[in-house]
Amino acid sequence: MSQETIWDRLQRIDRRVIYWLLFILLMIPFIRPLGLPVSISPQAISLVEGLRKLKEGDVVVVNISSGVSAWPECLPSLVAVSKVLIQQKAKIIYWTSFVDGHMTFEKIVEKVPGFRGLTYGVDYVHLGFYTGAEPTVAQLATNIRAIFTTDYKGTPIDQLPIMKGVNSAKDVKMVISSDTGDYCDYYIRQWRIPYGVPTAEIGIAMIFSQYQPYWPEIIFGMTGGARGGAELEKLIGELGDATVTMDAINTSHLLVIVAVILANIGYAATRRR
Amino acid sequence: MGYPTTIDGILGIWTALALMLFVYSYPLFKENQLFRFAEHFFIGLSLAIAAIISIQTTIRLAITPLMAGKIYYIIPILLGFMMYFILHRDYRWISRYPIAILVGSSIGLGMRGTIIPNILSQIIATITPPKAGAVALSWFNFVYIGIGTILAVMYFLLTFEHRGPLLYPTRLGRWIIMIGLGAYYGNTVLFRMAMLSGRAQFLLQVLGLVPF
Amino acid sequence: MAEVVRRELVYILTAIVVIIMIVDFFFAVPAVSAVAGELRTWATIISTMALALGAVNIIRVHSRNVRRRTPGVWYHSAWLIFIFAFVMLLGMLDINNPASNPIYKWIFDYSYVSLGQTWYAITGFYIASAAYRAFRARNVDAALLLIAGIFVMLMNAPIGEVIWVQIPVIGRWFNDVGQVPAMRTFLIVAAFGLLAFGFRTLLGRERGFYGEVAGG
Repeated sequence: MSQETIWDRLQRIDRRVIYWLLFILLMIPFIRPLGLPVSISPQAISLVEGLRKLKEGDVVVVNISSGVSAWPECLPSLVAVSKVLIQQKAKIIYWTSFVDGHMTFEKIVEKVPGFRGLTYGVDYVHLGFYTGAEPTVAQLATNIRAIFTTDYKGTPIDQLPIMKGVNSAKDVKMVISSDTGDYCDYYIRQWRIPYGVPTAEIGIAMIFSQYQPYWPEIIFGMTGGARGGAELEKLIGELGDATVTMDAINTSHLLVIVAVILANIGYAATRRR
Repeated sequence: MGYPTTIDGILGIWTALALMLFVYSYPLFKENQLFRFAEHFFIGLSLAIAAIISIQTTIRLAITPLMAGKIYYIIPILLGFMMYFILHRDYRWISRYPIAILVGSSIGLGMRGTIIPNILSQIIATITPPKAGAVALSWFNFVYIGIGTILAVMYFLLTFEHRGPLLYPTRLGRWIIMIGLGAYYGNTVLFRMAMLSGRAQFLLQVLGLVPF
Repeated sequence: MAEVVRRELVYILTAIVVIIMIVDFFFAVPAVSAVAGELRTWATIISTMALALGAVNIIRVHSRNVRRRTPGVWYHSAWLIFIFAFVMLLGMLDINNPASNPIYKWIFDYSYVSLGQTWYAITGFYIASAAYRAFRARNVDAALLLIAGIFVMLMNAPIGEVIWVQIPVIGRWFNDVGQVPAMRTFLIVAAFGLLAFGFRTLLGRERGFYGEVAGG
């Protein structure tokens, strides 16, 4: 029987060692920030350029199809986009396909100082929760009032000044969708293609891969996860939560890459024998 | 948002931290009763919230219009209740009627909507060459995407066995798919790590080591 | 007759709904559009009411555990049912605005948010150990996957640029160009799959979603 080498032992390392190492490494940058700059993707630039084309009073729908569980990934982009929309003096309609979406809305309002000078129901509103996937998104495109009769607090939609004259996709200038799933597909199929409403995606990092073939022909801009959030924060000149998160990403990614390299060296060494 | 100063706030963040540690005791140590406690707590909580939102939204969307005179809203409400027969073996067939409406509308909308963005636009984007004066890399990318897409689509031609003239194109197609999945994996790692870093940050915040 | 009501009528209803949705898109017939709109609203109402279906089912399963005193399980099931009932009660006190109840809001703010993020993040551990245990360059396929993955990871992490200034350039190529043929293929293939699935449904050949296999 051949003698056990270090590579053999590394192949059998307890998974909990990796878990602990990962969790500790993730904490270090929060205590000692590295402060490395984040480069900006063309997709994020085109997103902000698209938002900057909005004029005062244009109605924009922000679809929150991500839950509180995805805040570290999705919230920074939602916050950054909301800041730009306020700068453009757009009217913002939020709605959500997550049962906890109202918490995300309230968190956005808490994190964006620009909302302090605005009036709820006049400049921005949260219409609340909807479910039903594509049929509901299609119905929202033709008749918003068939799905939302009130806002999320129960105020009748016709008592909200922001909703005056806003009945369907034809009255909306832009849709921004924050997804952990595939709701943006529905907005592409039911809003972007039939009505030509410019659409953008600001979901989790994997979404970036999924929607890359749509950019820039079908969706005018997109960001992926915390990285995308950090890019937006840099673009609008207001560094925030995502920039901090990206610091922690450095150590965790290094660990994963070192793990892959070590495992492959070990694999090659043991296979040769 | 700073460190909570109220009793309920302080109690809240420590409860949140305890629940987090209960859950992570499973990967970091081993299966245990605290993990099970937190797991069942979350399931009960999530179900209750889903049920509450379901009732609240049904009232706004269906009951209120019904009360306001839209008598025919009784039909979708009945269809909604018919869904619950799915739980009863003998009467499960009743739930097929609301499912027919859900599936029928989803498929109809999907079929009519998918052709332009997912087939036509994708083909147009693939065969549209770079503008005049484009750099060599743009032309390389154009050729790579064009040929790569054809090869990758060929890999999904499952009607024919991948041998003979199809052997090498489908093998290349598989490599193209692997490159795509590799990039997807890279983004997946980013997503998972960003989520976990949020938890690591929360732990440090509750301990007062970094600001809230 | 029973067979007609249980199966044939359902297939016909599905096909009619599919046809209405398609006709509504391609032909501007006001009557069809009105029916299509109403059907979409109905679908939303059915989905909304079905949201609680999962709750009913899981509570049923856990109630059985408690009734039978299933060893090692029943007290967890009892705990789940208690939490469900307690939070439901709090929420029902003001169904229009459940968060107006401070206890409900406290549970939501500190338990639900924390546990939601914790559960969602737990896969971070597993992806790290999977990277160590599963990602071996055993052949060209796996090597290509690893190379693309590593460059995208290093591009995503700002430290990649510190290691080598060209890393973000290569990583961005994989992200913006390298993965496009594969992702585009998935879109095209899935679209054709959806069309085929739709036509099979129209013809009554696709029946899995009715739960026929499961019984009834």
